[in-house]
Amino acid sequence: MTAIVRPRPMLLTLALLLVLIVWLSLALGPVSLPLRETLLAGLRLLGLSIDGDNTQQAELILGQIRLPRTLLGIAVGAVLALSGVAMQGLFRNPLADPGLVGVSGGAALGAAIAIVGGSMLGGMAPAIEPYVLSACAFSGGLIVTAVVYRFGRSNGQTNVATMLLAGVALTAMAGAGVGLFTYLADDATLRTLTFWNLGSLNGASYQRLWPLLIVTVGVALWLPRRAAALNAMLLGESEARHLGFDIERIKLELVLCTALGVGAAVAAAGLIGFIGLVVPHLMRLLVGPDHRVLLPASLLAGAGLLLLADLIARLLLAPAELPIGIVTALIGAPFFLFLLVRGRS
Amino acid sequence: MRMKTLLACTGLLLSQLASASEPLPQRWVSAGGAFTEWVVALGGESKLVGVDSTSQYPRSLQKLPGVGYQRALAAEGILTLKPDILLGSNEMGPPPVIEQLKAAGVRIEMLSATADMPTLQHNLNQLGQLLGKPAEAQHLMDSYSQRLKNQANLVSQAQQHNAAPRALLLLSHSGGNLQVAGKDTLAAWMIQQAGGNSLVEHLGYKPVSNEALLALDPQVIIFAGGRLQGDEARAALLTQNPVLGQTSAGRDGRIVVIDPTLLVGGLGPRVPDALADLTKAFYPDSQVLTAEAKQ
Repeated sequence: MTAIVRPRPMLLTLALLLVLIVWLSLALGPVSLPLRETLLAGLRLLGLSIDGDNTQQAELILGQIRLPRTLLGIAVGAVLALSGVAMQGLFRNPLADPGLVGVSGGAALGAAIAIVGGSMLGGMAPAIEPYVLSACAFSGGLIVTAVVYRFGRSNGQTNVATMLLAGVALTAMAGAGVGLFTYLADDATLRTLTFWNLGSLNGASYQRLWPLLIVTVGVALWLPRRAAALNAMLLGESEARHLGFDIERIKLELVLCTALGVGAAVAAAGLIGFIGLVVPHLMRLLVGPDHRVLLPASLLAGAGLLLLADLIARLLLAPAELPIGIVTALIGAPFFLFLLVRGRS
Repeated sequence: MRMKTLLACTGLLLSQLASASEPLPQRWVSAGGAFTEWVVALGGESKLVGVDSTSQYPRSLQKLPGVGYQRALAAEGILTLKPDILLGSNEMGPPPVIEQLKAAGVRIEMLSATADMPTLQHNLNQLGQLLGKPAEAQHLMDSYSQRLKNQANLVSQAQQHNAAPRALLLLSHSGGNLQVAGKDTLAAWMIQQAGGNSLVEHLGYKPVSNEALLALDPQVIIFAGGRLQGDEARAALLTQNPVLGQTSAGRDGRIVVIDPTLLVGGLGPRVPDALADLTKAFYPDSQVLTAEAKQ
């Protein structure tokens, strides 16, 4: 595969696009705020004291609703796309998605246990409910991934093919678990579970944001340091080993990054499909397979695409809103098809 | 963090001030089918500016902006409606959204959707206060409990001569699998209040196999399904599930169709009517009931 454009201008374009989308995400919403008020409120939130107009409402909407939501969108989109790159590099297959190592399935099972189990035990205090849900989803993802990784290990080596199959099997088992809890659920919890499975950035708050931000920053700093190793792995595992890379260690790091990243993203925003699979693929079509460029490009594009999808999700049916998983697939998939067709001709 | 606390405090202060001088909330968003119906029954329909997806009745509400499902509300979307108050059950959420709305000065009124009389009394009191119609609310409550009392009398009289029929409530949306209402549902409460004998032991709404339906052999089937009404719904139910024709209820044609929106969100104003219909279907031969109907 050859790159369609040169990497540096492409990265710059993607960064500018992301800035534009972030601006849109802050400036647009169901409540229409005049541009002047948005700007004033923004400056006040930054700590500048400007006298004049009363911008209390604007400050609230910007500071407490749109800003956390935008940050959440950036983090979730970025970390999902990065994990996608890590998985596609690990499995040396552009069709790999972060769910392959079982993290999504495990997180879904954790969430189902929290949602249905919580209500069966007589309900939790509403104040701690979201935290319990996040914690269960995160640990569910980690546990299942750890088991998958363990199955892939033998004689001090990680067999990627075994891991992939173990991932499929454990995802199916987690699916059965989710099915069981779906069966046990009453009406209200059933709907909560369904909505959770479609993901949403709704209800973002700073308290729930920071764990994800830390993980995202960690993954975003760590993975690019492994870009050279990922490039070498494109040649094959033994080739990469001969080039002097500690392959076993790299594999563990990739799985760990994915488990932590996707686990934290899913814990904060529910299951959001598609980004992890398609954004890395799209970027490979645009900037080529060099991971030194592919990783930052995927980060920018993942964040941008998710924010764009969220913007549509909250504007389309206002005052209600659409689950974001529907939108990511609806706008991403046709674009992906278009690129595939264009790449072929 | 500090910002948020400050905002929350301001919001709290504002709502305190509001309740001190007591201007009644004029713009209502209601997230909960039965609560919405009560607001309408208390003459507050003109104050409603938005409803959730469970508020399906009366049909005129469908003109109002929808705020989505009660457990997946969106703060900013609701703020566009400039509501003074958000009414809903204690299932309303997600919690951060409720906090954000509170901070924006929206009064949050969470009521319990438990199906019993003390809860209903409390809810109606509260709604009466908030709508400025406490006397009407009390009147509605009194006639409601009176009707349920009469209902209970009728049932006990009817049961002196007839055994309680075995009844089953089936729920099906758009031809999907039949689900049977279990013990802890409003449906089970209604069957029991109407003098029926609810057959199932499970909790919630669960799919039940054809064979199990045959084995349960209900004498009356109550069908809550989608948009079809009356005979059309009955015919559709029997065509899609021929096995029901083999049960006592199917053979005797004792299938009652009710509106599925009745079963959402606790005791609504339409429940006494529905109970009366059910009792009529349960005890078609009862002298007491026919006498009652003639009055």
